[in-house]
Amino acid sequence: MNLTGKSAQQTLLYGAFCVAILLVPLFLDDAFLLNKYSRYLVFAMLAVALSLSWGYAGILNLGQATTFGLGSYCMAMALKLGTVPVHTGSDGLPDFMVWNNVTELPWFWAPFHSMAFALMAGILVPAAFAALLGWFMFRGRITGVYAAIITLAAMVVVNLVIIDQQRFTGGFNGITDLAQFEVAGLAFDAYSSSTYYLVAFCLSAVLLLSLAITRSKTGMILQAIRDQEDRVRFFGYDVALYKIFVFAVSAGIAGLAGMLYTIVMEFASPTFLGVPLSLSVVIWVAVGGRQSLLGAAIGALIVTGVQGALSESETFLESWMLIMGGLFVLVVLFLPKGIAGAFEMLAALFLRRSAAKVPSVSQPAGEAITHGEGAS
Amino acid sequence: MNSESNSQLALCDVSVSFGGFVAVSGLDLAVDRGELRCLIGPNGAGKTTALDLICGKTRVSGGEIRFEGRPIHELKEYEIARAGIGRKFQVPSVFRELTVRENLQIGRSHHTGVFANLVRFGGSTDDNEVERLAELVGLSDALEMAAAHLSHGQTQWLEIALILAQDPALILMDEPTAGMTGQETHKTAELFNRLRGQHTLIVVEHDMGFVRDIAETISVMHQGKLLAEGTLDEVSSDQRVREAYLGSGGIGHA
Repeated sequence: MNLTGKSAQQTLLYGAFCVAILLVPLFLDDAFLLNKYSRYLVFAMLAVALSLSWGYAGILNLGQATTFGLGSYCMAMALKLGTVPVHTGSDGLPDFMVWNNVTELPWFWAPFHSMAFALMAGILVPAAFAALLGWFMFRGRITGVYAAIITLAAMVVVNLVIIDQQRFTGGFNGITDLAQFEVAGLAFDAYSSSTYYLVAFCLSAVLLLSLAITRSKTGMILQAIRDQEDRVRFFGYDVALYKIFVFAVSAGIAGLAGMLYTIVMEFASPTFLGVPLSLSVVIWVAVGGRQSLLGAAIGALIVTGVQGALSESETFLESWMLIMGGLFVLVVLFLPKGIAGAFEMLAALFLRRSAAKVPSVSQPAGEAITHGEGAS
Repeated sequence: MNSESNSQLALCDVSVSFGGFVAVSGLDLAVDRGELRCLIGPNGAGKTTALDLICGKTRVSGGEIRFEGRPIHELKEYEIARAGIGRKFQVPSVFRELTVRENLQIGRSHHTGVFANLVRFGGSTDDNEVERLAELVGLSDALEMAAAHLSHGQTQWLEIALILAQDPALILMDEPTAGMTGQETHKTAELFNRLRGQHTLIVVEHDMGFVRDIAETISVMHQGKLLAEGTLDEVSSDQRVREAYLGSGGIGHA
């Protein structure tokens, strides 16, 4: 009884959040702000991805930006080819390839002429990358800080490869001058409500899907793995497989976020796979509460929102980094479960207060409740 | 040793050493289906290591372990568990951040696939079984409580209930009554006597009062080997067993 009530409340809360973000454009008619908020929502999606692997399965991924970047490049490649022949040289080559004396479109670029392929690749390439990395890590029983370091190192490697292979990836400059994202006859202008709706809809879908995963038995087993990996193994569950699964799902979500980021920002850059972004995600999730998907998303919105406001205001131009750092230290010290944990604590306190009031008003009703609980 | 062929579990000449220290050497042990076997021995005799070897936590360096006629010593831990062997650890290990109900649902591991479990949500047919088990170990009132809030004895019982939820043919219990009060120990003995026949049990235990309450056959280990086997009276009058326990005050005081 109690459990279903709690999970119903949770579903309601998630639903309310989704509705709230979808309603924003009705009250906001500012293309610049909508673009900025779309960007924040993309970050929220990235936070959900990390919450799934870190908060629920205990896998701290310090390289979440790897899969984010892979997704963003997949989208950028497709959109770049969409500019043919405006930003192209001879034979319909992307401009940066012409500058680098590439004469023929590389084989791995060719399929990106199809947007359907790009959309699939943007999710499946990051997921496959994570599954492969996870296969080595989790079959080898690498856990905790060692796994975190490997994810960080893997990101640096991918980042260097992208920068180094300038002829195929645009190197430091990334892939710029992109076409507008179009699907089924709909065009998504980065500075319009359509793109905002696209991002908000995807974030809602990801949130609800992730919630379903955490509610399933698989989600429960993942939490058990986080608590006591060995215990789970001796019940007959293949722990490595479960970890690879959640790691890959998390990467797929990050890939989707990356694709959306390219649409919103209108370019892809090696900085998307950078250490600063990866560590920022960890901070958002820690602030929001890593064991709550919604908390992580809200954490990302708050931190990036405050960060944006501070860095744009003249008074804090020099000191905003310091303020963000201080904020983070405070949250870690006093709210180990983040904003979501604080919210839960307050809710529990409030419920206890109101529950304490009821029996004092009518004693028999209170007794009936305790009897009912004892019998169930 | 000729009975090994029809035993449910048979360890044949099993050895393991850790960096030169021989923890188990040439251990032979055979346990029949439905039997409740107590494994005792002085500290460092290799009892826990023997359980570790059976459930795959530790790999054998030599010898063979057969379960229901099949060699299992090269299988992975989860494969051994799926073959029907459950293990209760010495330090109670449950999922502290999950509720008792969720703990028990995870114990019900008949479906182990990632994708099969992705479409399974709480409130399925497992619920009756979960509630029955909670009642069996006296945790009915604590079903929605986080396991972290249970007392030590309750945590021990929860882990026992988890193993029963898994419903393995063979259960390995490592000091199930450690840290329990006298009354709790007594209740545990009752529970084990009820399980007799439904599951094969191997119980490592130091509490000789508890062993007296449940034991049929006792195997005594010493220095990684099987020293003696028989009823409690037989082994406690065995001269070699008395010598092995020398200095620790005898078998009854270990």
